[in-house]
Amino acid sequence: MSGIDAPIEAGLASPTWGGFDHSRTRGNGAADLRKSFGTAARLGWQMEANWTDPILFFIYSVAKPLSSALILVFMLEVISGGARPEFRAFVVIGSALWAFVMSGIAGLAWSVLEDRERYRMLKYVYVSPSDFLVVLLGRGVARVAVGAMGALITLAVGVVALGVPFDPTTVHWPMLIAVMAIGLASIVAVGVFMAAVCIQSRQEAWSYPDAAAGALFLISGTVFPLAVLPGPLQAIGLLTPFTWWIEGVRQALFPSGLSSVGGGASLFASVAGHAVPTGLEVVVALLLTGSVATLASIVAFRASDRRAKDRGLLDRTTGS
Amino acid sequence: MSAFVYRATASPQEAANWTRRQIVATNLRSVVGRAYPRVTGLLREKSWVFFEILLPFLATSAFVFVYRSVGAPPEYVGFVVLGGAMSAFWLNVIWMMAQQLWWEKSQGNLELYFAAPMHIMSVLFGMAFGGFIMSSSRAAVVLIVASTVYGVSFAVDQWVLLIGVFLLTLAALYGLGMVLASLFLMWGREAWHLTQLMIEPVYFVSGLNFPITRLGVLGSLAISLLPLAVGLDAMRQLAFADSAYPIGTPGPEVEAAILVGMTVVFLVLARWALSVLERRARREGALSVRWQ
Repeated sequence: MSGIDAPIEAGLASPTWGGFDHSRTRGNGAADLRKSFGTAARLGWQMEANWTDPILFFIYSVAKPLSSALILVFMLEVISGGARPEFRAFVVIGSALWAFVMSGIAGLAWSVLEDRERYRMLKYVYVSPSDFLVVLLGRGVARVAVGAMGALITLAVGVVALGVPFDPTTVHWPMLIAVMAIGLASIVAVGVFMAAVCIQSRQEAWSYPDAAAGALFLISGTVFPLAVLPGPLQAIGLLTPFTWWIEGVRQALFPSGLSSVGGGASLFASVAGHAVPTGLEVVVALLLTGSVATLASIVAFRASDRRAKDRGLLDRTTGS
Repeated sequence: MSAFVYRATASPQEAANWTRRQIVATNLRSVVGRAYPRVTGLLREKSWVFFEILLPFLATSAFVFVYRSVGAPPEYVGFVVLGGAMSAFWLNVIWMMAQQLWWEKSQGNLELYFAAPMHIMSVLFGMAFGGFIMSSSRAAVVLIVASTVYGVSFAVDQWVLLIGVFLLTLAALYGLGMVLASLFLMWGREAWHLTQLMIEPVYFVSGLNFPITRLGVLGSLAISLLPLAVGLDAMRQLAFADSAYPIGTPGPEVEAAILVGMTVVFLVLARWALSVLERRARREGALSVRWQ
């Protein structure tokens, strides 16, 4: 029996025949990826959650999305004095969903910055046998989970305290599940793109994910219908997956609510010939825009990865 | 003659006994030295222009469109624009003042600051000055571009008071940043997360995009504690003098006096907190982090 065909020893010990086992460098494929992802997600969750006691962590997790929703609710109350309850539901849902986007985009980008600038571990993570992108995705998932908690609490407060009319019997569950799955994948894709940007940037990049999310907030129909925007901005908005994701979740949760995409004077209505997109149109548009965003983010990440290796950016720390 | 020129002394103790001029000159140089990277960073980091100026302008625009979608009076668009401009300073105070000493600790610079022959307050003043310059450009762009694009018309009767309130707001904000920087010195990862907690909730209780009177008791509490809340309210009253501003908050003169009080209290508190927490950090070995 040749040395290469000899059985692999347990752990990291040398093979019994004493040579170099080439099969170890190839790894165990999907099993290794699962292990890397699981470990990174667990590490990410612990970093997110174990810095304080559960009560403060809970307050921390919900304060941000809840405050965002309350700012908008008060803005509407100041103007309409409570005369437009449908708008209140509109902004509460939009704010709650945006918590996912914020946490998803920031999660991956901040993982890069934390590991490089703060813990100075990025280079070690990078040269480990784990796939770097898989590790980043695992870390990002933990923040998405925190965002999900904030979103759910915001929705609950909206229904219980702010009079958002929610009826579980009218929810279109298959559509909700479909758009949530595709939408979350799109959020992670944009997060990967921001991670690619942050690898190239300096310490100040901490605020970049928030800035990017703020810009997308404008064109995604999150807290006001796209129809109020100028035509070119509406067109850009219709090309982003978040627009369709939020519209899909709104249609699934509140079938008779306001549409963020459609409306009499909207670009969508003038192009499609009908005022409000159907459920199928929303899912197809989300799938298309989400696929493009995912492919673009992977290309951008790989390019950023190559440039970072070329220019020594993986172990760069900066200050200002 | 330079304060730093060599002078022959009889003993090291005498050499270490600096004149008042040397002490003042060293601290002023520390202020300039700490402000320098923030001011030059404005010109050197090109991506900063896009991420720190253009994108926040778009975020401000989102709130403008919320008001437009419900047919709000035009002065409310002005409130949002003013709030968007002032938020630049709050973000700077939170990210680059409050968190900075903790961040310097993580990077290994903090022990050098304490070992250097200067008062640590000089570093804080330098950070504040550099941060003010840095944020002013973003605030100015948001204010000018958004006012032009969205047709905001200001009606100012008391320019001197408006400028005075603006400067007092910044002084109080950066004073609060110095206090928080001192507190964050003692914390680990809590500092990072608490920074996160101080953005949207503070925007809400400060009435960033709507008149703070609508918050009732919470608004009154914010006016007595948060420079952003009281400064923004005073500036709105002064910048939109002709609008039907909801009554219920003190006049701008009273709010200016509140800001003066806040500035004094925060600066004294920052100096006291810094010396107390520095001693405590030295005793507990919290000036550096474990992995250094």
